Amino acid sequence: MATILKTMTVSTSAIEELSGKLGKEWPAISAARAAAATEVDRIESILADHRLIPSDTSLVVFGSLARREWTFGSDVDWTLLIDGQADPNHLKVAQEIANRFLQARLRGPGPTATFGGLAFSHDLIHQIGGEEDTNRNTTRRILLILESLAVGSSDAYDRVIKSVLNRYLDDDLSFLSRSGQHYKVPRFLLNDIVRYWRTMCVDYATKHRERQGEKWALKNAKLRLSRKLIFAAGLLTCFNCHLRPPAGLDENLFDLPAHLEPLLRHLRTYVKLTPLEIVADAANSFAKPETSLKIFDAYDQFLSMMNDGEVRTRLESLTARECRSDPVFNKVRHISEQFQDGVTRLFLDDEPKLSELTRKYGVF
Amino acid sequence: MRKIGFSTGAVAMGDFRHALEVLAKLHVNAVELSALRFGELDPLLNALDDLPLTQYSYIAFHVPAKFTAESEPDLVRKLHPIKERGWPLIMHPDAMFDRRAWKSLSSALCFENMDKRKPLGRTAEELARIFGEFEDSSLCFDLGHASQIDRTMAEACLIIQQQKTRIRQIHISEVNTKSEHVAISAASELAFAKIVGDIGYDMPIIIESVVKEHQLLQELTLVTEIFANTLQEVLETD
Repeated sequence: MATILKTMTVSTSAIEELSGKLGKEWPAISAARAAAATEVDRIESILADHRLIPSDTSLVVFGSLARREWTFGSDVDWTLLIDGQADPNHLKVAQEIANRFLQARLRGPGPTATFGGLAFSHDLIHQIGGEEDTNRNTTRRILLILESLAVGSSDAYDRVIKSVLNRYLDDDLSFLSRSGQHYKVPRFLLNDIVRYWRTMCVDYATKHRERQGEKWALKNAKLRLSRKLIFAAGLLTCFNCHLRPPAGLDENLFDLPAHLEPLLRHLRTYVKLTPLEIVADAANSFAKPETSLKIFDAYDQFLSMMNDGEVRTRLESLTARECRSDPVFNKVRHISEQFQDGVTRLFLDDEPKLSELTRKYGVF
Repeated sequence: MRKIGFSTGAVAMGDFRHALEVLAKLHVNAVELSALRFGELDPLLNALDDLPLTQYSYIAFHVPAKFTAESEPDLVRKLHPIKERGWPLIMHPDAMFDRRAWKSLSSALCFENMDKRKPLGRTAEELARIFGEFEDSSLCFDLGHASQIDRTMAEACLIIQQQKTRIRQIHISEVNTKSEHVAISAASELAFAKIVGDIGYDMPIIIESVVKEHQLLQELTLVTEIFANTLQEVLETD
């Protein structure tokens, strides 16, 4: 099994690389990625045709579209991200975006109002932790890092991502090990990602109560698979700072970098990847073949089910009580158990270094 | 027919010949010849007699935005032939060192309201001070700059109220927080719509949006539509 790699060599086609290595294709994953690319093009055309991206703003999509996992019934979670002067017309533009998406029969965001409007860079960058860091702000910030994509102009988006990551790194006391030979896992960022994962789990229970079990089975399936996936990708993004450090550190043992720029650039590279690409990248380096197959076979089956209108409708209508005896839900549960088993092996069994980091940073 | 066209600097920065080739295909009737960077001045001045300008019923000349105090007298001297052609000299008010040196060009000077980076010429109050010194000069009203200074366009309304009779031409584009001139978005269109009705419908319009060549026609069409509403209102009133 691979040990620590000297330099980072992430490929955006990590999934294809893994597929080739294992001699296995995942048709649902490929189809979802192709469908997402088509939808992104369609949205980009709508925005360009109606000039709906003012300067110093970016239209950012989250969720399945950002993960390139577009399936039947996927909705578009979007926000108009503003990194510049406040402008009274921004709200009108956001409303126009919502109208245009509706006309194009794109399903809008859910009822929490986390998406579908305006978001400001100031809150995302400055309100990390503390009283002002609301659930909505945390969600927007972490999803910006874990599953987001700018459609059209990405200037504002790139600036905000860089500033948010800079906050996490700059507020850590040190980003180098005592020997100066390794980058440390960015603990501030890691803790926020872990906090968000636990928040999602707690909110899942809260929403179940508040909405009287509405869409329980579908939400449960997503929590077990797509939400868990982004958590795993977030952990790997942080662990990779140590496991797969930016180039140059070893060559300059006596000239240690005083600036966090290489690490910042390194993290930004991962932010541009989808969660599945990040996991595939880790699987290529650290997982045994059977582990990779467990994870990706399970996820492919999950996306296949999500792309089946009947299955999705069934999961949307099931109550928690009905689930135990429902064959569709039981299939999802089985898939999610396979996925969980694969992820557990990846993080805890297959590669000692990754296991060590998981024990050290992932639990206590 | 409305006079509308582009700045050569926006179409092809530093390459006025190529910009004019591109604009010839767009059949616009107004142009601003840009020597915004000092190094562009002499080549542009030397080429003036040979440039294909017959299609334009309105021509303006943008004076360099930065020069040294030593080069100022020579610059003023070089600009006199432009004044004699009757072309307005678009001028950044903060560029001058010795204001007295510019008095001989005063009637041709067309001061532009500035973006937020500049120390003067941004607001109605700052413009009033400039026109206090240059009483027979005119105003190049930059809608993008005015919008960047105050997104509500209240300052733009005030500038129009105070300097309406001085406005000689319009600059239009969207200006971002880095003070770059970019394509006009729906947000700027909404902002500009608040004030275009107060600008004379025969006012020459120079587009400064920096867009790709294949997007110039789209930008021209948009600006025409923004101001067409004004013309429509005038016609309805008549």
